[in-house]
Amino acid sequence: MSTTVLTIYVLMWPVLVAAVLFVISRAFFGEWRSARRRGEDLV
Amino acid sequence: MDDSTFQFGTLSVVALLLLFYGGTFYISTRIGKREENADDYMTAGNNVGFGISAASMTATWIWASSMYASATSGYTYGISGPIHYGLWGALMILFIYPFGKRIRAVAPRAHTLAEVMRARHGRSSQLMLAGSNVVGSVISLMSNFIAGGVLISMLSPFTFIQGVLMVASGVLLYTLWSGFRASVLTDFVQVVAMLGAVAVLVPVIFFAAGFPAAFETGAIHVTAQQESFFSSDAFMNQGAPYIAAVLAYAIGNQTIAQRLFAVREDLIRPTFITATVGYGAMVIGVGMLGVLALYLGITPEGGEVNNLVPQMASEYLPPVLIAVFFIMIIGALSSTADSDLSALSSIAMADIYGQNVAGKDAANPKVMLLVGRATMVLASAVAVAFASLQLNILDLLVFVGALWGALVFPVIASFYWNKVTNRAFTTAVIAALALFLPVRFELIPMTGLLAIAIDLIAVVGVGVVLGLMSFGFFGLRVARVVGLLASLAAAPFAIGALHEYATLSASLVAYAVSTVVCWAMSVGNSEPFDFALIRRRTGDFDETPAEATPTPVGAALSRDDRDDLDPTTAGSLR
Repeated sequence: MSTTVLTIYVLMWPVLVAAVLFVISRAFFGEWRSARRRGEDLV
Repeated sequence: MDDSTFQFGTLSVVALLLLFYGGTFYISTRIGKREENADDYMTAGNNVGFGISAASMTATWIWASSMYASATSGYTYGISGPIHYGLWGALMILFIYPFGKRIRAVAPRAHTLAEVMRARHGRSSQLMLAGSNVVGSVISLMSNFIAGGVLISMLSPFTFIQGVLMVASGVLLYTLWSGFRASVLTDFVQVVAMLGAVAVLVPVIFFAAGFPAAFETGAIHVTAQQESFFSSDAFMNQGAPYIAAVLAYAIGNQTIAQRLFAVREDLIRPTFITATVGYGAMVIGVGMLGVLALYLGITPEGGEVNNLVPQMASEYLPPVLIAVFFIMIIGALSSTADSDLSALSSIAMADIYGQNVAGKDAANPKVMLLVGRATMVLASAVAVAFASLQLNILDLLVFVGALWGALVFPVIASFYWNKVTNRAFTTAVIAALALFLPVRFELIPMTGLLAIAIDLIAVVGVGVVLGLMSFGFFGLRVARVVGLLASLAAAPFAIGALHEYATLSASLVAYAVSTVVCWAMSVGNSEPFDFALIRRRTGDFDETPAEATPTPVGAALSRDDRDDLDPTTAGSLR
């Protein structure tokens, strides 16, 4: 197994994690703003 | 751990815990209401948005043990090890979402799956689901408290018991008043801590430990199986048993069902897909630390593989990032522990008090809330006591897992097939358990014809598992074909060999027996069930409007008028 392939294999997961974190955070803050505009609790 | 392990000072660890639990408590006070609504306490009004739901589903599915176990799998089975732990666990979230949509369509305002089973069948099926969840959640709570106690005692001067008490008090503090609403909201903060930590810590450890060069220098520590992406060792010992186990866990566990009933109905799919990717990437990412440890030739301290992750963190991270690691583990175990508390309180409120003590129409919402909060306190006390005694509860956990495995087909069939009866449901589960136990614990010698018979039943189980996964997405016809092909494909390899893998074999037997018995006892039923009854038999206990949280018109419509599956016209499984 080449070193490059193994390096990509190990480091792709943190990148994917960062992408999910971005998606969830963007949605959360969007919902928060929307709830504040309506004067409601977030949950 | 030995003297080389990094240690925080007393003040530092207290400051970190105050920061984490103080922060989550502050967040919970922001949504606290003087007069909490009993239904919102259990399901947050069935109207939670995508960001919070996805964060909450991800956070709940990840517990401290899943990170340690994934790293252990990487250390033991090599580069494919974390995949065989994390990928299957992640895919199960994906596989259950079609069932989740169906369950919400049939019972849009329910609180627990057990409550729906009572509406569908009666008390025995409800008690099976509720009872297994009470035991399962107390065990999970205890495991998370133990993980917290071990971590705190490892990285600070505090003792294990002090650590357990700190974690238990912290989780109870922010969950007690607002229940599930606090649980899902704080899950967001916890998931940010966990995902953010993994995104940073794994690359830092990777380079600090001398990779990628260490892949070459450390190759002598790795066997051919460990170096393969297609390791049969990893699949047979880790992946395959896990596929069977987590499908059962995903269907039977109230912490997942509770989020299913809470998320806005039109957001079920994106929520589950995001949680699938988030869970998979996070758990596999942490599992890579086990792979790195394998290449580095690291020996787990004290021979305990659960020490690997803290050991790697302690060895290769600077103090500030060890603090981040500490918060990551505390976040993982707290998010699951608060979900367990919320699940237990909902079962006590809806299934025990609401339906079996007071009755649906006579239940007093104020008493329900009292029952819910008292349950949280009691469950925390029991879990702390069990954690302090460090009881060996592995067998109990295996039993709960088997019960959930036996429940999978009867539960799913009960939502689609109007012929399933209470007697078929109950008998199928008991029969499956009766055969599971001797196979799992090897109570009878697995030789000769008996071994072949068990293998044949397990082959049917392979078809059931893959058939169920296909059914949710593609319907009955495809499921039958997939199930049949899977059994035929597995037969040549499985017959004569599968019984040697007791964990996998027993799980498959439970699936097969419950399916065959449930089908055989239901197929002749001439009194089909009217699914519309479930909607009428489940619903709100508390009619008082929630404080300052008017339900948006669009959301109300999505609950009642946009069901993508009309329960009254649901297809028959026959």
